[in-house]
Amino acid sequence: MDLVSSISIGLETALSVNNLAYCFLGVFLGTLIGVIPGIGSLAAISMLFPLTFHLEPTTALIMLAGIWYGSSYGGNTASILLNIPGTTSSAVTCLDGYPMTRQGRGGVALLMTTVASFIGGTIGIVILMIFSPTIAEYALNFGSSEYFALMLLGLVAASTITSGAPAKGLAMVVLGLAFGVVGTDIYSGVPRFTFGSLDLMDGLSLVALAMGLFGVTEVIASIGKVDLTTIDRKSVSLKAMTPTKDDIKRSGMPILRGTGFGAFFGTLPGTGPSIAAFMAYAIEKQVAKDPSRFGKGAIEGICAPEAANNAADQTAFIPTLTLGIPGSATMAIMLGALMIHGINPGPGLMTEHPDLFWGLVMSFWIGNLLLVLLNVPMIGLWVRLLLVPYHLLFPAVLMFICIGTYTVHNNVADVWMVAFFGALGYLMRYLSLPAAPLLLGFVLGPLMEEHFRRAMLLSRGDFMTFVDRPISSAVMFLTATLLLWTVWSTLRIKSASRRTRVHQ
Amino acid sequence: MKRVDTADIITGALISATGIFFATYSVTQYDIGTIYRMGPGMFPLGIGLVLTGLGVLITVPAFFRSGTLPQVDTRSLVMVLLGIAAFALLVGPLGLAPAIFASTILSSYAERKVKPLTLAVLCVSLACLAYLVFLVGLGLPLFMFKWPF
Repeated sequence: MDLVSSISIGLETALSVNNLAYCFLGVFLGTLIGVIPGIGSLAAISMLFPLTFHLEPTTALIMLAGIWYGSSYGGNTASILLNIPGTTSSAVTCLDGYPMTRQGRGGVALLMTTVASFIGGTIGIVILMIFSPTIAEYALNFGSSEYFALMLLGLVAASTITSGAPAKGLAMVVLGLAFGVVGTDIYSGVPRFTFGSLDLMDGLSLVALAMGLFGVTEVIASIGKVDLTTIDRKSVSLKAMTPTKDDIKRSGMPILRGTGFGAFFGTLPGTGPSIAAFMAYAIEKQVAKDPSRFGKGAIEGICAPEAANNAADQTAFIPTLTLGIPGSATMAIMLGALMIHGINPGPGLMTEHPDLFWGLVMSFWIGNLLLVLLNVPMIGLWVRLLLVPYHLLFPAVLMFICIGTYTVHNNVADVWMVAFFGALGYLMRYLSLPAAPLLLGFVLGPLMEEHFRRAMLLSRGDFMTFVDRPISSAVMFLTATLLLWTVWSTLRIKSASRRTRVHQ
Repeated sequence: MKRVDTADIITGALISATGIFFATYSVTQYDIGTIYRMGPGMFPLGIGLVLTGLGVLITVPAFFRSGTLPQVDTRSLVMVLLGIAAFALLVGPLGLAPAIFASTILSSYAERKVKPLTLAVLCVSLACLAYLVFLVGLGLPLFMFKWPF
């Protein structure tokens, strides 16, 4: 199938009235939840995720993607106007976005992030369309060894690169793998770690885990902390949003550079949007004529990371959809959604469900477009939502979490799991353990075990199977290098800090 | 500031303990099998061992650096969890509306700002919202009120 006919299939699917309506609804609800201070896109997606269960797979995914754009956009609004980042990647946007708000230029910042996101996202989608078929075709030859190696790389990368303390990130990935073991073993039919409970036979619920770790924890941590100091409403009126000529001139190149970074880092397992956003910001600061402007409201400082972030979000779908290996926690949730709907992402996805694949890709673009159309005139409404006192908002958030989880299987056990994971998430936050790697490990765990056991069966228990096959050995080599590099850099930082202490 | 990083020592110890539990439970309860034909216990055993090791890696360096122990916000934690528990207990026997009332009232005690009247209005409007979204909008088979007897 050539690209043109694929695109037309995709457009046909995405532009059907039903799908378009759900895409719109997703974007709207996503923004609505994302705007709530402290609720980042991950929490928003896990909260709204159960709403999509009752739809058919394609529509559900389209809505979910809409929720995701909406929530990351909404999260940005909170970051820029209140300096409360909901996600790591929007933390970068805070650096220059909040100073712009304090200068009365919050509206410009919001508009320019929308534009930057749209451009970054669009280019990301084009890259996704061009590369996915090639990679999927190539991946048809992958066996269990390759898949195991790739997943291992993904998990190691996700836990060592993004988090401050690599050992903690790794520990959380492994803890996620452990949670993934709970349930019936597919090979022997033995129930594992269910402690006699029938509710655990099907394993822990992804929805409950995500809602607890990201939703409930976020609520507990935000209570009493969110201070809604005066937002200057004038700064977000339509008139105040018009960027000056200088703003536009300054933004062009940073958006393109950011997109480049984002598109590249998005495809790598484990790095994803936050790394891309940080890198883009750092590069802009490097190439700027006057780096001292950064941190004081430089428009380049919000455009580049936003473009990078969104381009990475799009290209992150390449490994998720073509290999079935998510690179980030958000992608893990997307993957989980697909699997709940009975679709196995992997190289076969494009040939078996072309309407789903291309429909989704096209809906990304439509979702991005809707986001611009919806949000530019509605910024005023979102700002008013930000002014609702938090003590009235969080019971509503909790209610949606409870009902959402309950309705997935009409099972109260899932609600208890939310409470458990909420408590665990709070403990983890208290001990500064990252939650995203845990989710990634949880989703990938069962797949990894399956591939590992199959690879061992095929090779008759010979570990050399991971090294003998060229692709898997290359990936294993990368993973080993990454681990060694992590150890080395940790040691180096330690000895450097010891040296400075001696000098002082 | 403490002389050792207490938070990380606790973290590592908890992680190691989880790992040891996981590994021993796998060995004692499930068939390990061989590498060639793995039993249900092999993968969790491996996970348990790696987890134990990582816990040690977190604990040991923490003895050689100073650290701070952050504050726990017990009130928010307990009230929010109680709110969820109340929902879980009530939604089955009594229906959605009582569950929402209970969880809203309990969880809003996490912050002392809410007045009784505001709370009542909040409860009723949340129940209406839930009715509109989940029963009317999504058409889910839920009951707002149920009589348990």
